[in-house]
Amino acid sequence: MKNIFIVIAFAVVFFSCEKTVLLDLNQSASRIVIEGQVTNQLGYQYVKISRSVGFYATGDTPGVEDATVLVRDDIGNEFQFIHNPGNLADSIGFYLPEVPFTGEIGRTYKLVVTVDGEGYEAEDELQPVTAIDSLTYRISTDEQEDPKDYGKFYEVLLFAKEPQNTTDFYLFKFYRNDSLKVYDDTDIYYADDEILGENIDGVPSPIYYGPGDIARVEMYSLTRKGYVFYNDLQSLLNNDGGLFGQPPANSRTNLSNGALGYFQASALVMQELEIKE
Amino acid sequence: MSCLVYISIQPRMTRSVLFAMLLLLSIFATAQDKYTVNGYVKDASNGEELIGVTIYIPQIKAGTITNAYGFYSITLPSGTYEMQYSYVGYTPHTITIAVEKNIAYNVEMVSEATLIKEIVILDKPIDENVTSLQMSKNTLDMEQVRKLPALFGEVDIIKNIQMLPGVLTAGEGTSSFYVRGGSADQNLILIDEAPIYDPSHLFGLFSVFNADVIKDSELYKGGIPARFGGRLSSILEVRTKDGNNKEFGVSGGIGTMASRVMVEGPLKKDKSSFIVSARRSYVDLFLKAANQDNLVYFYDINAKVNWKHNNNNRFFAAFYSGRDDFKFSNEFGFAWGNKTATFRWNHLFNDRLFSNTSIIASNFDYKLELQDAVQGFKWTSNLQELSIKNDLTYFINTKNELSFGYHLTGRRFSPGSISPNTAGSIFSDVELQRMYALDHGLYVSDQQRLSDRITIDYGVRLSIFQNVGSSDVYLYDDPQDNIDISRTDTVHYGAWENIKTYVNLEPRLALRYIFADGQSVKLSYNRMVQNTHLIAAGTVPVPFNTWNPSGYYLEPQLADQVAAGYFRNLKDNTYEFSAEVYYKDIKNVTDFADNADIFFNQDLSTEFRQGKAWAYGLELMVTKREGKLTGAIGYTLSKAMRKVSGVNLDRAFAANYDRRNVVNIQAAYDMNAKWTFGANFTYSSGRPTTLPTGKFAYQNYNPDVITERNGYRLPAFHRLDLSATLTPKKNANRKWHGQWVFSVYNAYNRQNPFTIYTRTAKNEDGDVIGDGRTKEARMIYLFPILPSVTYNFKF
Repeated sequence: MKNIFIVIAFAVVFFSCEKTVLLDLNQSASRIVIEGQVTNQLGYQYVKISRSVGFYATGDTPGVEDATVLVRDDIGNEFQFIHNPGNLADSIGFYLPEVPFTGEIGRTYKLVVTVDGEGYEAEDELQPVTAIDSLTYRISTDEQEDPKDYGKFYEVLLFAKEPQNTTDFYLFKFYRNDSLKVYDDTDIYYADDEILGENIDGVPSPIYYGPGDIARVEMYSLTRKGYVFYNDLQSLLNNDGGLFGQPPANSRTNLSNGALGYFQASALVMQELEIKE
Repeated sequence: MSCLVYISIQPRMTRSVLFAMLLLLSIFATAQDKYTVNGYVKDASNGEELIGVTIYIPQIKAGTITNAYGFYSITLPSGTYEMQYSYVGYTPHTITIAVEKNIAYNVEMVSEATLIKEIVILDKPIDENVTSLQMSKNTLDMEQVRKLPALFGEVDIIKNIQMLPGVLTAGEGTSSFYVRGGSADQNLILIDEAPIYDPSHLFGLFSVFNADVIKDSELYKGGIPARFGGRLSSILEVRTKDGNNKEFGVSGGIGTMASRVMVEGPLKKDKSSFIVSARRSYVDLFLKAANQDNLVYFYDINAKVNWKHNNNNRFFAAFYSGRDDFKFSNEFGFAWGNKTATFRWNHLFNDRLFSNTSIIASNFDYKLELQDAVQGFKWTSNLQELSIKNDLTYFINTKNELSFGYHLTGRRFSPGSISPNTAGSIFSDVELQRMYALDHGLYVSDQQRLSDRITIDYGVRLSIFQNVGSSDVYLYDDPQDNIDISRTDTVHYGAWENIKTYVNLEPRLALRYIFADGQSVKLSYNRMVQNTHLIAAGTVPVPFNTWNPSGYYLEPQLADQVAAGYFRNLKDNTYEFSAEVYYKDIKNVTDFADNADIFFNQDLSTEFRQGKAWAYGLELMVTKREGKLTGAIGYTLSKAMRKVSGVNLDRAFAANYDRRNVVNIQAAYDMNAKWTFGANFTYSSGRPTTLPTGKFAYQNYNPDVITERNGYRLPAFHRLDLSATLTPKKNANRKWHGQWVFSVYNAYNRQNPFTIYTRTAKNEDGDVIGDGRTKEARMIYLFPILPSVTYNFKF
């Protein structure tokens, strides 16, 4: 339904101009930000902890290095996470499982984080996800006429069966040669199944590829809470200042104690495809 | 189920109500040697009925005014009376009548505009500002409006309504307006009595009203008469011309954005007439020229016929259709429009009992369509209503005028249906729950002249609103939980089965006291009830914000407003001054929860929130109606607040359209017969907006941290527009009249804020710059300095 916004934008943009303005903003106290993920695939478990910064701050937001992080499932297993075990410069604030594990479909996972004596918790259920039956690709003639990235005008088509007797929510990630891509920097690719039929036959990817590229599509299951989080995040990132759309508001989250971000448990399926000329 | 069913239950109820009221009236009607003078007042040149003409009888220091249909009736003891008919812009008409029997006296008044301009008419304009009971009402003088500058030269009454004191806007380029702290859906916008659910073209750049065909428009902001109901904050009543019943004429205009043509004439001279008017924009033609495969246009068609069967029976049929159509690259389409039809019967039961019966239909719909083999879908939504109204005025005597009536409206809300438009589409057929409602309004009010100085109007309106089937109502564990929505049950209601009924009594009171010559004070109180809610996501409603009836989850909105004013005319009524203060308290004001999911949500009721709102303000206005220089200066000081649980962490916040100070100046200068100049100036303090107090990183995204709704103010808004109208000397041998209108919008090229949004810092081409973590705020502003030329013609 994102197209609707494009129409409004068009009507306004047809007559409008815009410019960058410098705002005199109040700054709220820095808040803890948690980005956590448990999946049923090995190597996809992590928790990232950072702090919010002023609107005009530059560079990466500060990572939190001295938190205690653990994840529990609902049958008594406990998984300790440790800060940046590989001691990598670009992984400040990232916590990985001390002992690698995978999540199981149907389990509920609970995240427990302590930073400076303050506790933050969240729970999410790892729900099943439908299979990606296949991927194919074709040239997008529109993109070929005016490619966003030079030479990238192949779109990948996704085929799947949407289970009609369950209520499902999905999150998609598209990779080009192992690099996560979005078409527009505020795009999030997620869906509910409310108006979907059973046959998902050839939905085109929003990302375009060139010959020789490896395209990877990841499909994550989300709980309703996760869907709500990404839907809110999408509205927040694309809001128009509350003129035609809703005024911006923080995403609703499963995290306690005022933390920003989300702790997500997902089943994950993926497929890869090489684009050939 | 067809809407026509609604009518079938109507006559029985009206008849019984009528009977009860007539019974009541017979108590009053006992005077013996009194006779009634009544009739219609019309424009001599084209037969258009004149509304609000003052009829004054010096001997009894009293009089009356013509009603919305140009009708008047006055009952007097037998004798000989001088009767003075006066109306702004018309030569007064005086007659001496021997009242010894009931007299039907129709008057044709001569417009000053049709006289030679050089002759200055020294009549005294009427002092309606001071003497009329009605306060908080503004009438747009269409002659004056045409002299003023307009955006792209398109004369637009809503843009002029937005210049009135007590009326706020979200900014230029929008057609919504906010009256005395009320939201945009709290205005009842009527064209020939039929409601318009979305008054915007091109998302608000223009309104749906084609100025050519507008005869008269009035905005009631307070002291709202009992005959109106259904919305809390204002009534905008727009009436279209009846059509010239003397001679055939064609007029039109060619503008920068749109062109117009209007044809009118008698069907049978002095008896019946017709008028047809059409307007179409041609932005799309420019786009075609710019080689863009996009279609963007709107059109309006107004048509009306009226015929006078005899002095006691007149009939009108009016039709309006307007539509916007957007198509992008033959893939994505979006359209919306209003259609209304009104059939009206004016009937005189006797010399003193005037009745108007209207049957009104209105339809608003929108449509979205994506043409695509895989993701193709079609989304449609509409709101239909059919109503019948019977309004009666009983002119009891010179002291009492009783108004009463019954309105019944049936509405069908179809919030949305999605269907795949190709065989291979991933979408399935889904339809959102339809809703039905019956709305009864029953009112009575008496305008009573207590003395030469004091007139009061007291009345009451009874609103009975029924949300009926057939419909399914979903029950929830917690009806306000919009995250873990859990339906516990679905209750099915059959056709016409009552789901929920709301009964509300709306008292209305107005008082006017003339305490010195040319000076009066007025007081009013009104309670209004609103059962049809448009819950807009943002500040400005857009066509796909759907209307909802009161029902199982939404309760009626209630507004109480008190207003007081001081009115004074100066220099022989050349200057009119008014000062008004008001306080308005609203219960059950509707809003969406923060982060509401408003697009095609089957559980939309879980996103509804209701709370309270309050607003107060001071409005000053000076108007100069006569002379070469005419115009108005208005000032508004106001505040509008809201407190709704589930919104802004339950804390009070300034309404989206709250602006502290507003100054509007409109002036026209008739230099000579050839040239007229016009100017608009507007200033308003910035409206509130929600801006971030920080940001954070989540995956590759940089969301803002929001701590408070509407915690900031946009910069102040101000703009000057200028216009010049050239009417070349008429060639006496030709029927053709031409006129050039030159205008400059935003004369000093101010960059007025439309909205501010934030994004990751990007370069001119829209590519993210740097490490992609720096953010920036962007201000959108609409129109730079915009000159335009319009050519109007008439023959």
